[in-house]
Amino acid sequence: MVSRLLECGDQRAARIVAALPTDGDGVLDPLAVDRLMISVHTELQRLREELRIDDRLVHVLGPLFAAIRATAGHGGPFRLVDIGSGLGYLVRRLAATRALGPDVELVGVDLDAALVGEAGRLARAEGLACGFVHGNAFDLPEAATVYVSTGVLHHFRGPALADFFRAQAASSALAFCHFDIAATRLAPIGAWVFHRARMRHPLGRHDGVASALRAHSDHTLLSAAEVPGIRPLLYEPRGMANPFCTTLRPVLGIRPHLEEPLRRALGRASRRLVGPEQLAGTAR
Amino acid sequence: MTPAPALAALGLMDAAFSGFRAYAGRDARIRKHRAIARAALRGLAAGAVLLLAPAITAGGVLLIADDRARAYASLADGGIGYLVPLVVYAAVVLLSLAAYFVLPFRASTLAVVVGLGPLTLLRPLALGIACLGALVHDGGWTSLLVGAVAGVAVLCVEPLVHRRWYAEVLRPPSG
Ligand SMILES: C[S@@+](CC[C@H](N)C(=O)[O-])C[C@H]1O[C@@H](n2cnc3c(N)ncnc32)[C@H](O)[C@@H]1O
Repeated sequence: MVSRLLECGDQRAARIVAALPTDGDGVLDPLAVDRLMISVHTELQRLREELRIDDRLVHVLGPLFAAIRATAGHGGPFRLVDIGSGLGYLVRRLAATRALGPDVELVGVDLDAALVGEAGRLARAEGLACGFVHGNAFDLPEAATVYVSTGVLHHFRGPALADFFRAQAASSALAFCHFDIAATRLAPIGAWVFHRARMRHPLGRHDGVASALRAHSDHTLLSAAEVPGIRPLLYEPRGMANPFCTTLRPVLGIRPHLEEPLRRALGRASRRLVGPEQLAGTAR
Repeated sequence: MTPAPALAALGLMDAAFSGFRAYAGRDARIRKHRAIARAALRGLAAGAVLLLAPAITAGGVLLIADDRARAYASLADGGIGYLVPLVVYAAVVLLSLAAYFVLPFRASTLAVVVGLGPLTLLRPLALGIACLGALVHDGGWTSLLVGAVAGVAVLCVEPLVHRRWYAEVLRPPSG
């Protein structure tokens, strides 16, 4: 792995991995890796708390569920699935604040067993009504009403990004809403300052800046989300948002009949919601 | 007027924040007001002990001085020079903090991005400027010494509390 990172030219990442504990054959100690992942995600959660990322999510998800309720023709229950939930902060916080209402079932899914185990433990310790599943978000037995994620999109590159949206469009879900780092010129500098000031492990510090550098442009996100059966929308695109105030913002994909009710539910804030046809006008 | 009480108050306030920072990022629970208060108290306790170092240094300076009144006067002058930059720094921090808590989420992000985050990184710089302030405000090398010891002491609170209480991620009981 170290040599692969070196081949990619990422010497810092190679140094960080080389410093992790291994067994006699140079294989990474899985327990140490799990502990490291949990500790880095706990630090990441602190950043989310400080930057109020979850208020941002509720600001969009609240109206989205209002639109869904208005058009569903039934009283729920609805299901929110957080893809790549990590330690499950979003889902646990939504459960603790009941921000989306009692008719929304909250589920976090992650491929990392250690993170899922810890998320479940944290939820039980605080008696929160939410669940965590280890596995691929698209292999769940029950489909989601809405798929969400935070800080996951920049991990998908090239065609994998469109495949990610296509899989959700092909399910029975009514919408997806994925928050990721806004690709502004300020993002890498801001990420450096914040990860330096708030995170302790070099892995978290390095990944924070690397992630900001990998953030997708507005254009990339909107074109990737343009898949059959889905109306792609971007909330707070670059030209419309102050980069000092907007650290993460979402790309949405909704069934077309939801657009009007969503705009109504957003009220004045709906002017920040743009489709591909308006993006050209707002981009700087 | 002696600047000592104001400096001590500032130092203790900083120690409480340092205690919070030593803990932050180690506890993934949602509800943690009590844990935050405990961390701030731990910082405060560690700060109270560590701030004895500059107090003792100042006492030592006075003890060995030939002319105690003059030595005291120059420490007081230096103390004021040390205090001024720190008061400016603290005012900006408190302003950002107030903005963070009072303003809606978009504006509060601004308070964090241009205020609280960078200000944490700038703490050593603020202390450096304070030392310089002590020197130029007729504090002499004795004030510089006391100021430097105080600076090191407050910078040590966070790592100390972190190492003593928060070296590991806090884990909930398994269930
Ligand atoms: C950078 S982490 C973000 C964690 C969390 N959202 C947060 O903000 O703290 C990305 C996570 O996505 C997970 N992941 C990626 N693709 C996934 C998929 N198809 N299903 C479930 N989890 C996935 C990875 O295991 C990883 O833990």
